[in-house]
Amino acid sequence: MELLQLVINGIALGAGYALVALGFVLVLNATSAVNFAQGDLVVAGGFMGVALAGLAPLPGIALLPFAMILMAAVGLIVSVLAYWPLRDRPPVSVFISTIALGIIIQNGLNGIFGAEPRVAPAMFGTGRFEFGGLALSHQSLAIMLVAALLIGGVHLLLGRTQLGRMLRATAQDSDIAAALGIPVGAMVALTFALAAALAGAAGLLLANQFFVTPADGGNFIVKAYIAVVIGGWGRIGGALAGAMLVALFETVVAAWFDYAVATGLLYAALLVILFVRPEGLFGEAAGRRA
Amino acid sequence: MTRIGQFRAWLGRDVNALLLAGALLLAAWPFFQGDPYSLRLLTLSGIYALAAIGYQFVFGHAGALSLAQGTFFGLGAYAAGILSVKAGLGFELTFPAAMAAAGLLAVIVALPVLRLESHYFALATLGVGQVVLLVAVNWESVTGGANGIAGVAKVSLFGLTVERGWPLMLLVWGLAGLGAWGARHFTGGMAGPKFALMREQPMAAEACGIDIRRLRFTAFLMSALYGGAAGALQVHTVRVVSPEVLEFPIMVSLLAITVIGGRTSIAGAILGAVLLVHLPEWFRPLEKYYLMSYGAALLATILVAPWGLMGALRMARQRWLPEPALPLPAPLPLSISATQDTLEIQRLVRHFGGVRAVDGIDLTVASGEALGIVGANGSGKSTLINLIAGAEKPDAGSIHWADGRIDGMPPAAIAQAGIARTFQSLKLVDAMSVLDNVSAGDRMGVDRRSAHGKAVELLGQLGLADVAWLPCGSLPPGLRRRAELARALIAGPSLLLLDEPAAGLTGEERVSLADTLSRLNRDGMTLAVVEHDLDFLTRFASRLVCLDGGRIIADGSPELVRDDPAVIAAWLGSPPVEACDG
Repeated sequence: MELLQLVINGIALGAGYALVALGFVLVLNATSAVNFAQGDLVVAGGFMGVALAGLAPLPGIALLPFAMILMAAVGLIVSVLAYWPLRDRPPVSVFISTIALGIIIQNGLNGIFGAEPRVAPAMFGTGRFEFGGLALSHQSLAIMLVAALLIGGVHLLLGRTQLGRMLRATAQDSDIAAALGIPVGAMVALTFALAAALAGAAGLLLANQFFVTPADGGNFIVKAYIAVVIGGWGRIGGALAGAMLVALFETVVAAWFDYAVATGLLYAALLVILFVRPEGLFGEAAGRRA
Repeated sequence: MTRIGQFRAWLGRDVNALLLAGALLLAAWPFFQGDPYSLRLLTLSGIYALAAIGYQFVFGHAGALSLAQGTFFGLGAYAAGILSVKAGLGFELTFPAAMAAAGLLAVIVALPVLRLESHYFALATLGVGQVVLLVAVNWESVTGGANGIAGVAKVSLFGLTVERGWPLMLLVWGLAGLGAWGARHFTGGMAGPKFALMREQPMAAEACGIDIRRLRFTAFLMSALYGGAAGALQVHTVRVVSPEVLEFPIMVSLLAITVIGGRTSIAGAILGAVLLVHLPEWFRPLEKYYLMSYGAALLATILVAPWGLMGALRMARQRWLPEPALPLPAPLPLSISATQDTLEIQRLVRHFGGVRAVDGIDLTVASGEALGIVGANGSGKSTLINLIAGAEKPDAGSIHWADGRIDGMPPAAIAQAGIARTFQSLKLVDAMSVLDNVSAGDRMGVDRRSAHGKAVELLGQLGLADVAWLPCGSLPPGLRRRAELARALIAGPSLLLLDEPAAGLTGEERVSLADTLSRLNRDGMTLAVVEHDLDFLTRFASRLVCLDGGRIIADGSPELVRDDPAVIAAWLGSPPVEACDG
């Protein structure tokens, strides 16, 4: 029963991680580059929620669309500053430029909000459902629902719309996409916007139960990175599954030992996976990319 | 040469001397502003310079984005700090112990981590760092936990205390200078072009007999040793150690220093360290936002000066003070080992999925033979070359060369056994000069002079002397092919494997290349040449084999093979495809 409770908690956390990893892998597929600022964008989303709540004391669900739109704009800025000028350089350049942008975001937030933990508003309010000795807070349920809706929305966008087809074509082979008349630059910028909006949503969702501080970005990017590696570099489904695995591992192991040991074991597990199956648990999709 | 010309040549050759002068000028700075705080910043700059010079081995030279340099730094700090506080050891012992601790970690993680591709390598090194950080936070009895350990002794050498201020600053910069000298020794001479080849064209590096795994390992280990050394200096300077030294900001600082200064330039690491340590000071007026300047400087550099300040300086020099073409070094004679070695291939098989690219080939190439390998596209010619050279592993069968079996051996080992090759798609370092590209293939040559001498001899023979100083990327395909041939020849191979050497060449160039190959063959070199152009092959080949569907369908004198009905049906019957797929 205790384990089941932990699994429920883990799934809620994993739903948040999944949004982060989804954004990470979308950018990876569109650009072959690692967006290392993705973790800081999550934090920015959390603070966006804090700031919006200060302006209008509404429940989180009402703030979410605004936070996502604003974060999408931030994503566009990221693509213009840290990706577009470096698109013809080796992918490691983007890795470094997004690290740099992450530093700017982190210290900017630190300047505005300070280093103390802040809380974003709950989606619907506090409280919990209880059934058979298990508890599920309203916020946890909201995280799962909102994440499921957003992931479903991205799935529909990519699978069912003309825009989604253009995005996928860009991700598959940008040269051929360009030859087919697809505005590759706009598609890449849009992917960054989408990734940032997803990161922002995750930030807003997680910043209620887990608080948010400017230095949290490193934690999120590493979890997303690990999720994408164990899920198979470039696989969207794998990234979502990987995020869930990371969160479950973290929650369950942390309950038995403590959080530090759980994180240590997570990295140890990652190193073992990299050593034994460098292509990830479900195989690699993106091939040799950086 | 005029006096100005001499000056320019000196500038061109010894821009590093200029930088040294700049560094000295910088070192003289505290004479004018010798307050303790400035001295402390300069001391910290020296510490970061040492760590960044170390980071250049793995990130700059080996081209692997390691995110563990901060970890090596922090581990060195912890090792020295713990030994100083708990065992009361002096700097003469804590310093080497810190280096050893970082080096040991590098050796332990090298096996799982070093073989990973770029993004996995970056993440894995990040993971290693996180594990070390967690150990530092949680192993309280030894590390002091989250609070760390205070009261680390000042630097003391055999009982003599090195006081803060001037003495410590000089010691730190003395050690940084020693580190710079060591790095110059390790990456200077022919190591530079070899690292570049390994970074840009790993397959070609292996084919030149460069053991990439060993070189990567050495670079990783060196970076750890330097990082550990810098960490020891840091802990004896700030006198406390806490988990902060293992956290990501230190790693980011080292990355920023290296990117901003220049990835492979020692002067760049020093420049970057001095700049980045002082940057927050200059941006103090921004108050709590000053740390953003770090990110902004890093972003600006990667956008406008991708090779860092040193790279930008070099480009500016080339533009405003163009280097006069230096005289070529004197040519040195090459040794061609005319051995009696025979290549024997038996029942060789290689599948790709369901495709049998090589499907049971038996082939013996006698010493001194000049063999042409022909066949339609996809008949298995390139795969055969790759199998002999070790770039592919066979699924079945064997390859014997000289006295030993070579199938399954790594490409570098096969190259060292005297088998050299070129590639169907050229694998040169475009940004590097023809001379350095060719010299990089000289696996025996350690010093630049002998490697350059041999290269000059070959460039003369192949008609490349006029373009020796030009970057390979600026040459037309014909000259690039010849440069690759020269690189394969410089180590004096007994067997030369060429994969479509005439692709992209003009008729005249083909004749001259065929003459060169014919001459090499007369001198005793065994040749195996894949080509579509029969006229080219018949100029020097004494024997032809024709492949079809991964099997040999004809073998004999050029005339015999050309007229063989099976060959005509399989290859010549279809429209010949020439010179367009190189």
